[in-house]
Amino acid sequence: MSTALKSRLAAAGSALRERDVDGTTLLLAACFVPMLAFFVVVWVIPIVYALGMSLFASPVRNPEFVGLGNYAELLGNGAFWGFLWNSVVYAVATTGLSLVIGLGLALVINQRIRGGDALRTLMIFPYLLPTLVVIFMWKFILDPNIGILNQFLVDAGLIDKPIAFFSTLEFAMPAVVVTSVWKFASFAFFILLARLQAIDPDLYERARVEGATTWQAFRDITFPHLRGAILIILLVRGIWMFNKFDIIYLSTRGGPLQQTTTLPIRVYQLAFSEVNFGMATALAGVMFFLLAGVAVVYFRAFAPEQEVA
Amino acid sequence: MATSSGRGLVSHDTQKRLQRIAVYLTALLISVFTIIPVYVMVVIAIQSPATTFAGGRVNLLPTEPSLRNFLVLLGSTDTVRYFVNSLVVTLGSTVLSTTIAVAAGYGLTRFDFTGKSLAARAVLFSYMFSPIVLAIPLYVVFSTLGLLNSHFALTLALTAISAPFCIWLMWQYFQTVPIALEESAWVRGASRWRTVRDVVLPVARPGYISAAIFAFAVAWNDFTMARVVMSRDEMYTITVGASLFLDRVSIGWGETMAVSLLISIPPFLIALFLQRYLLQGFSVGGLE
Repeated sequence: MSTALKSRLAAAGSALRERDVDGTTLLLAACFVPMLAFFVVVWVIPIVYALGMSLFASPVRNPEFVGLGNYAELLGNGAFWGFLWNSVVYAVATTGLSLVIGLGLALVINQRIRGGDALRTLMIFPYLLPTLVVIFMWKFILDPNIGILNQFLVDAGLIDKPIAFFSTLEFAMPAVVVTSVWKFASFAFFILLARLQAIDPDLYERARVEGATTWQAFRDITFPHLRGAILIILLVRGIWMFNKFDIIYLSTRGGPLQQTTTLPIRVYQLAFSEVNFGMATALAGVMFFLLAGVAVVYFRAFAPEQEVA
Repeated sequence: MATSSGRGLVSHDTQKRLQRIAVYLTALLISVFTIIPVYVMVVIAIQSPATTFAGGRVNLLPTEPSLRNFLVLLGSTDTVRYFVNSLVVTLGSTVLSTTIAVAAGYGLTRFDFTGKSLAARAVLFSYMFSPIVLAIPLYVVFSTLGLLNSHFALTLALTAISAPFCIWLMWQYFQTVPIALEESAWVRGASRWRTVRDVVLPVARPGYISAAIFAFAVAWNDFTMARVVMSRDEMYTITVGASLFLDRVSIGWGETMAVSLLISIPPFLIALFLQRYLLQGFSVGGLE
């Protein structure tokens, strides 16, 4: 450990060392060294290394410094903006639908309906089931040859012949969105349910006595209590969906014809199909700065660090 | 619409009843939407493909349960080895992540230092971070160090994506633990270390169980990191190994759903027995 770090840590612990209890410095080190070492090894070094790499053409075989050349090539290519658009469409659609379904169900279960506890347990499954399993389920349901949805739609006379949902231009994105919403609606549900259950029931009782309608009670009591959580879900869930890789990769690989290729899929293609690490790290860099930009807005608007610091 | 008050409004009773119906209808719709895929998986897993696809249609009422699909998995695939790989890296990263989080959470809560809010922002930023954007740099570094295709590298990568939330969770958790407990131990002459072992850790138990569950779920669920870090078949985790099953001619939907059912067992047990710890985690944010 560097002496500078050591003195920082010692200074940090001075407040509690005034109590003059032995072993404090060691405890201080035990608390912070694992976290700091870990952050440096798996976050700082790799990210700095990759950002450096993004300034080179063919950085692995015969590196040639090109400055921001990779970034210019990336942003100058029309395809990039198409992939960015796909990411935005996917993020907005999945986050919006998850929020609506999660909110609806949270309001329903908060009514203390019969079977509510069982339903709550049921909702844990989509969230905890590994993405791969969710993909297998939906690939089977939406399969053109044996899928039960096609079987049902053909039997009901709604369509003439089965649809290959995941590999048809106009259906691929909706199919990926439905699959994703199935998995992620629970996330919004659990967070909103926790907020709803924290609302003082007396507020509703008083509203009822004063003759408020259900809608008025929702508008004036429920919604204000949920607003913060809804914004957080839109923001954090939105970021995660924008950056989602596994669910799209496993369902369509970004196809058909790059119709569902989002930026995360593109990063993977650049790195492992086209083995172009200069461009792959540049795109990862662009995504890094996009995320950093959103994070700055998030910290300004919500000051989430005040919950702990 | 029925009016009984005579003032052109829906009566209170009717309104209540309609609302009740709407509530139950929503609950029913979402339950069906949630249950159908799970049901389909289970049924196809536990009956032989011959039964499932008899008569050219998919039969989803199990009449002849069979272990055939599981036996094929055991006999002609590397499912067992994939599971072992998954268990090794999942347990490794769960322990690592939880340990780092408990230590950091305690330190961040109990010690005062400047830049605390910067630390909080760093944790939250890494919490929101994208696994694939981190996977590329990690791949580059692991490849340079010759660490690709090792349990060690994947354990680190998985810890990288679960630790930020676990730290956040423990940090919040320790704030609800009054320092008075520790102070009374100090007053009675206990050292800081003994206090941590005998007072702090027992009190923090619900917190770190919750953190461990999230770390476990992230690692068990992971596809992205394993796909990037492991390129040799014998090092595949179960999610990567099974994701390639459908590309093989010899493996059909029966075996695919059977392996899905096996992968789902740990999440299933968590949902049934450790639910309250999971819900506690959601009250401070939940994870990707």
